[in-house]
Amino acid sequence: MSLINLRVWLKIPDAEAATVKNTLVRRMGYGDILADVKKERLLSIEVDSGDPEELARAFARELVNENKESHKVLIDSLQFEEGYVPVKVSLHIEDGEAISTRDRLRSRLGFQNVVDVKKATIWKLSFRTLKPEAEIAAKEIAERLLINPHKDSFEVLSQI
Amino acid sequence: MKIAVLQFPGTNCEFETLVAVKAVGMEAEIFRWNRPAGELSSFDGFVIPGGFSYQDRVRAGAIAAKEPVMRTLTEEAEKGKPILGICNGFQILVETGLLPGRAGRPSSRSGSSVPKGAAGFINGIDRCSPEIDMALAQNVMVSAGKIVRRGYYCDWVNLRHEAPIRRCSGSFAIERGALLKIPIAHGEGNLVTATPGLINQLNEREQVVFRYCDRNGRIINEFPYNVNGSRESIAALCNEQGNVLGMMPHPERAFFAWQLPAFDPRKQRPDEPGPGRRVFKSMKCYIEVNA
Repeated sequence: MSLINLRVWLKIPDAEAATVKNTLVRRMGYGDILADVKKERLLSIEVDSGDPEELARAFARELVNENKESHKVLIDSLQFEEGYVPVKVSLHIEDGEAISTRDRLRSRLGFQNVVDVKKATIWKLSFRTLKPEAEIAAKEIAERLLINPHKDSFEVLSQI
Repeated sequence: MKIAVLQFPGTNCEFETLVAVKAVGMEAEIFRWNRPAGELSSFDGFVIPGGFSYQDRVRAGAIAAKEPVMRTLTEEAEKGKPILGICNGFQILVETGLLPGRAGRPSSRSGSSVPKGAAGFINGIDRCSPEIDMALAQNVMVSAGKIVRRGYYCDWVNLRHEAPIRRCSGSFAIERGALLKIPIAHGEGNLVTATPGLINQLNEREQVVFRYCDRNGRIINEFPYNVNGSRESIAALCNEQGNVLGMMPHPERAFFAWQLPAFDPRKQRPDEPGPGRRVFKSMKCYIEVNA
């Protein structure tokens, strides 16, 4: 069993990340400590057989639009570059889009070895403060803006 | 009697909403989100129309809820002024904490970097987010125990008025049990909550204003009657005081009989009012009674 993590981000400017940054700075008082906001989508695909490297390339061909998106594959691990506090946001209620992606991979594209697909958004928050304060602020930002606790959950991830 | 129809970037129903408000005899104007928020206090009531404020970025209503106009609207709501949120307007009211109506409570979720003693917006900055009691999540249509559809959906739906007459500003003149045919068009109208006992509390306090039903008024908690998977087929809620109403269906799109679908015989009588008019007339009636 392998877990293929597909990190996908826009090559073009990400308007949603820009809106989140504007809101945090202009409306929510984080202008002093927040330097930047970036966003990625994360697809975590569990497979029970096959070569994970080869499968990852095939999944990327199907799930990433190379005209506007870049991606990175991580197998059985999930790491992020230094300089950002990554916050993973996912639904704790049923995720219809993840189920549709799983069914598309299995039924329409023939990847019978796909066991499960999970989807999340990774908000990469860059702060002007040191790490402990930055992680506290990231948690607070997640709770105040990035999630609605009645449908979303979040996790502040560690970096490399 | 003057109504502000709020416009955020991405709102797209403001003009037909303005027509509806004016057609029942109220003055109205479109109020852009970036006007000085304090100017809102000169209005007698407010409508947040449908659309996709800020392109539904992060989630529907989340960004608009942080705008200073929403803090002012919260203060106006506390004075008892009526607020009607339609579709995206409902989502914004939920994200603001105005619905289901425990607005203004300091957030227990706020962390340590919020200065002690700071609450609400200060110089346009949200220093203390209100507690949110529910979410309007992505639609999930269930029939016979199976998910048959997901996501955006638009159709004409039947609504049953659940609250007693005069309970809520937006249904002030509508009798309990009345049936209204009004269209919906949304992708995120599935009312969910992790707050224990909230739905029971809403029922007990008669805050559930409309439920999706069949054409005979029977509540059937599955698709196609419950069009989005909402808990207990809830289509509209008011706050505890009754002056703030949020509804997923669009009454402004059923305001005139000519707007009704071709299969509805009332469409052949275009001079007749449509069922959605009752919502706007109710708002007017509420203001007259409470002036």
